[in-house]
Amino acid sequence: MTLTIMEQSDNYIRFKVTDITPAEANALRRTIISDIPKLAIDKVTFHHGQIRDEEGNEYDSSLPLFDEVVAQRLSMIPIKSDLKMNFKDNCTCGGKGCSLCTATFSINKLGPATLYSGDLISVGGTVSKPTDAEIPILKLGPKQAILVSAEAVLGTAASHAKWQVATGVSYKYSRKFIVQKKSSIDYEKIKQQCPSSVVSESNSTVTFTDDVPCHALTPLFENKECKIEEDSSSYIFQFETDGSLSALDVLDYALKRLPQRLNTLLESLVDSE
Amino acid sequence: MIIPVRCFSCGKVIGSDYKKFSEKVQKIRKEGREPKPEEVQEILDDLHLTRYCCRRMIISHIDLIDEIIPFS
Repeated sequence: MTLTIMEQSDNYIRFKVTDITPAEANALRRTIISDIPKLAIDKVTFHHGQIRDEEGNEYDSSLPLFDEVVAQRLSMIPIKSDLKMNFKDNCTCGGKGCSLCTATFSINKLGPATLYSGDLISVGGTVSKPTDAEIPILKLGPKQAILVSAEAVLGTAASHAKWQVATGVSYKYSRKFIVQKKSSIDYEKIKQQCPSSVVSESNSTVTFTDDVPCHALTPLFENKECKIEEDSSSYIFQFETDGSLSALDVLDYALKRLPQRLNTLLESLVDSE
Repeated sequence: MIIPVRCFSCGKVIGSDYKKFSEKVQKIRKEGREPKPEEVQEILDDLHLTRYCCRRMIISHIDLIDEIIPFS
């Protein structure tokens, strides 16, 4: 198996994997979707009753949205995650919650105002913060205030969408478009517009690939004179992340995680015998 | 009500994009006209909303939170 990265930024990656079976490609896709850990707010404690500011003005803690809705919106915020942290269940603290497995945040906002994800203040030794500071969580009316503490823990998307790191995870076969030079297709124009798509050229044929997307290749899909060859052992993957982990970290973790997942399957089969 | 934090279908974070979208639309409305479909398309492309699931989150949203505040 060879993996070549074709395009990469912090939150986006496109890569080519060769010499794998369709089952292996799908296993990698499913691992990236549902088995990458990240931090997300899991427990929110609301202060109910009067809230006073420094000047002694009183504010009410009843909110325009239900507490459950606010908690759900808080949990969906992507938080910069550190994969060195422990899962709460497997932590040395025995699941009570400590700085190795839990990141604590607090919110204190007085109305009238809009509460943004950037208003989450990290408490204690953790340095985690939301990757996007401009997500609106809630609007507060006059004389309304919110006082909340929240705990973020590691989890995977298999149990809840708030732990979803990668979005738009997809792959396609690596394709070849074989164009006969004597056909009616204007191959010179395509060559000119998509120079990086030309795989090979002989006296009688030109071969293109859509590994790198190019608009000028579109007519070839419909044209009967063009022969399309798909290779089921070679795949172009792409996905983006929500910023809590970089795309490269996600790929790196998924490739390490995949053999562990297969071992779990193998062990369960051996046990049932 | 209030813009969802993530796209319902794919999970991309779109919460912060609604404000940017509506500011650009307001700017066009100040010229005394509704934005053309091509202009809406360009605004969404600039926000890197490539999939139609994320695009419908923004264009079909109605912000009603201000109407709800008095009833909390």
